[in-house]
Amino acid sequence: MASVSDLYDVGWEEMRDKLRKWREDNSRNSEQIVDVGEELIGEHSSKLGDDIWIIYEQVMIAALDCSRDDLALTCLQELKKQFPDSHRVKRLSGMRLEALERYEEANKYYDSILQDDPTNTAARKRKISILKAQGKSTEAIRELNEYLEQFVGDQEAWHELSELYINEHDYGKAAFCLEELMMTNPHNHLYCEQYAEVKYTQGGLENLELSRKYFAQALRLNNRNMRALFGLYMSASHIAASPKVSAKVKKDNIKYAAWATTQINRAYKLAGRGSKENKCSRKAVEEMLESMQITMS
Amino acid sequence: MPIQLTSQAYCKMLLHAAKYPHCAVNGLLVAEKTKEKKKDSHSVLCVDCVPLFHGTLALAPMLEVALTLIDTWCKENNYVIVGYYQANERTKDSRPNQVAEKVAARICENFIEAAIVMVDSGRLTVSCFEPIVHIYDHHENKWKSRDVTPESFEDWNEAQKITSALLEGRSYENLIDFDNHLDDLRNDWTNPVINKSVLDLC
Repeated sequence: MASVSDLYDVGWEEMRDKLRKWREDNSRNSEQIVDVGEELIGEHSSKLGDDIWIIYEQVMIAALDCSRDDLALTCLQELKKQFPDSHRVKRLSGMRLEALERYEEANKYYDSILQDDPTNTAARKRKISILKAQGKSTEAIRELNEYLEQFVGDQEAWHELSELYINEHDYGKAAFCLEELMMTNPHNHLYCEQYAEVKYTQGGLENLELSRKYFAQALRLNNRNMRALFGLYMSASHIAASPKVSAKVKKDNIKYAAWATTQINRAYKLAGRGSKENKCSRKAVEEMLESMQITMS
Repeated sequence: MPIQLTSQAYCKMLLHAAKYPHCAVNGLLVAEKTKEKKKDSHSVLCVDCVPLFHGTLALAPMLEVALTLIDTWCKENNYVIVGYYQANERTKDSRPNQVAEKVAARICENFIEAAIVMVDSGRLTVSCFEPIVHIYDHHENKWKSRDVTPESFEDWNEAQKITSALLEGRSYENLIDFDNHLDDLRNDWTNPVINKSVLDLC
């Protein structure tokens, strides 16, 4: 099989930089990480300097995702040699046991880390992940709530909790988690848009109006967020079609929906430039928007 | 009438699950619209599927957009939405959940004999030596699972061969779902490239 460097005509520095970018973005493209990382470690380890340790960690986790226990063990052993008493490496050993579904043993590792260092957030989060993997959503939710009482600023945890609540269809509590995230990240359009989606799903006129406002806010923060644009269109259309609203509210929402329609059509036009295939999508969108206009009036 | 899967429909479902092994994925199954019920047809043939979302499946707005949009697309192409597929986040769990039942109920409004197809991602392998879907039909207000045999496919051997080849060649990296389309409108959720690969392998 051709090597990555041959296939893509890249040198080891580019491969190292790509791995760094994926670390910073926290991407879970494990197959690519394994391909690039394995080659980098195998053939260029001497050139990597101290970077090699964090690369071993990154590749090890990706290898677990791809069932490459051989590669994961190699990386783990190098890390154990270099950092024999490290909690961080112990957590990786625990993760390997998780991948092999040996949850009891993994929990023992994490418990021993926590005995040594009760503030070790990584070990606590792994224990919650085990609950999630075993399908014990209620316990996972409870443990995560307890965790967040202590570590109120942990955004990853708030987001995980919102997802757990969404999967249990507890939209009210999911909304609360997203409110926490919006407060600490007022410029993040993704949180606004997700909050709007949760409110929309909760249903009811008040929640629909709130969802429309937050879709609009997401658009103010990023006018290319298509979900927010579609969301604004859907929420405004539903409000306008509701028999419970006043004539003025209906008129306002028809205006918002009409504005969203123009923006959506424009976005599709821009995207379809020069490509024959996309015309089908654009036509379907135009027709969909037209058909919903009929139900609104 | 029970549904039957073509190679294209089956392989795209599996490619979707393979692209996002750590997420739940879902999508819609479509069949060609027939003017009158053929007297000798014993099943509904799902000719294609449209991959929808990965990750969080339980939120309404984008699902509504997708259903309406794909419905419009179906009308233009003389298709009808006849089913819904889902692979759960946890590989050990392959039963339909509330989301699956809700979407399927919505599809039933337009096509009474809609089916739910659950992909058993725990048994997903590159060789695809056995079918890894469970098909559920609606009987007396409950969703009941039906035995899946090679007859549930238009041509099981072909489906197996094509799916295995595409999985091995990592074609799932190029599979586009509706989420990808919302991220970048140029991404085409009808997957013409993959459809062509399937045709080439037939």
